[in-house]
Amino acid sequence: MDCKHFRNNIFAYQEGLLSAEDLRLAENHLLSCKACEKILADVRVVDEMIHVEKTLEPAPFTSTRILQRIDNEFSETRKPPVITLVRILQPVTLALALVCGILIGSYTARKDSPPAKQASNSTEKLEFLRANLFITDFADEDKNPVTNK
Amino acid sequence: MTDPELIEGILRRDRNAFQYLVNQYQKPVIKTACYFVGSMEDAEDLSQEIFLEIIRSINSFKNNSSLSTWIYRITINKSLNMARKQQRHGIMLRVESLFGHRQGQKEGFSHEPSTCLSDLDEKEKRKLLHEAIGRLPENQRIAFVLCKFDDQSYKQIAEIMKIGLPAVESLIHRARLNLQKYLTPQFSEYKTS
Repeated sequence: MDCKHFRNNIFAYQEGLLSAEDLRLAENHLLSCKACEKILADVRVVDEMIHVEKTLEPAPFTSTRILQRIDNEFSETRKPPVITLVRILQPVTLALALVCGILIGSYTARKDSPPAKQASNSTEKLEFLRANLFITDFADEDKNPVTNK
Repeated sequence: MTDPELIEGILRRDRNAFQYLVNQYQKPVIKTACYFVGSMEDAEDLSQEIFLEIIRSINSFKNNSSLSTWIYRITINKSLNMARKQQRHGIMLRVESLFGHRQGQKEGFSHEPSTCLSDLDEKEKRKLLHEAIGRLPENQRIAFVLCKFDDQSYKQIAEIMKIGLPAVESLIHRARLNLQKYLTPQFSEYKTS
């Protein structure tokens, strides 16, 4: 195996992916080539860095923090519909109550005032007729119309 | 708890299902996110958003792939979005520093070519590795992170990325090559010699 061949397969060599025959040739080459040995040392340093990095673990209590965030998020998402509904219903109910109050008030006022007016009108008319036509016992005749006949 | 049971539980907004989901996927989600956003702290914060997104969009999960594949896709999408935001923010800061006061700090890739990796301490090495991974093109970064840090098989990576197996192999090889070049600049010299 020459330098070019070895260097093209250096990662495969380092990761133990070479065939038995290629592995034997690579090792023979390494025994006689200091330059390739130096490159392999560099590759091994980087591999070691990756290996050390792999052993790092997340901080303890990270899962607790994640779960707390999930709880907060999903308790918040459950609450808003209720809060929103209350926020909408409160002014709507108030407005409805106000409108109902106004309607009831105006209806009651209308219902009470016109008959009273009518009554007063008819009483006035009756008084006017009595005064002008000099009918004094108009009311009695009115009361017993059959007996007069 | 099986995947269908878990999905059913999440749909019912069952707290036990949430707990199982977080316990089961917390590590892979945070570790994957970490190589896109650059730090474990940012990844931990982002993981909260990722789990909320998983719960919110569980309705859209179709059984075309496994639940873990779908979760990885959400994790990668969210992480890439945050990484892009960070990148834009970084550009803005650099523009500001051009017009404002110069802090004298070198932004971006801080590895001096003359520095030997073995001379650096663990913290510096980690920083360099993260920077180098951040410099990889997006597709290479996704394939490399899933393969090297999450121990996903090429088949799983192909499913997550929706690409073929040869494409996955090629992406990982190119990513490895680029990473080696970024971290040991003399590597490219060796390669061409």
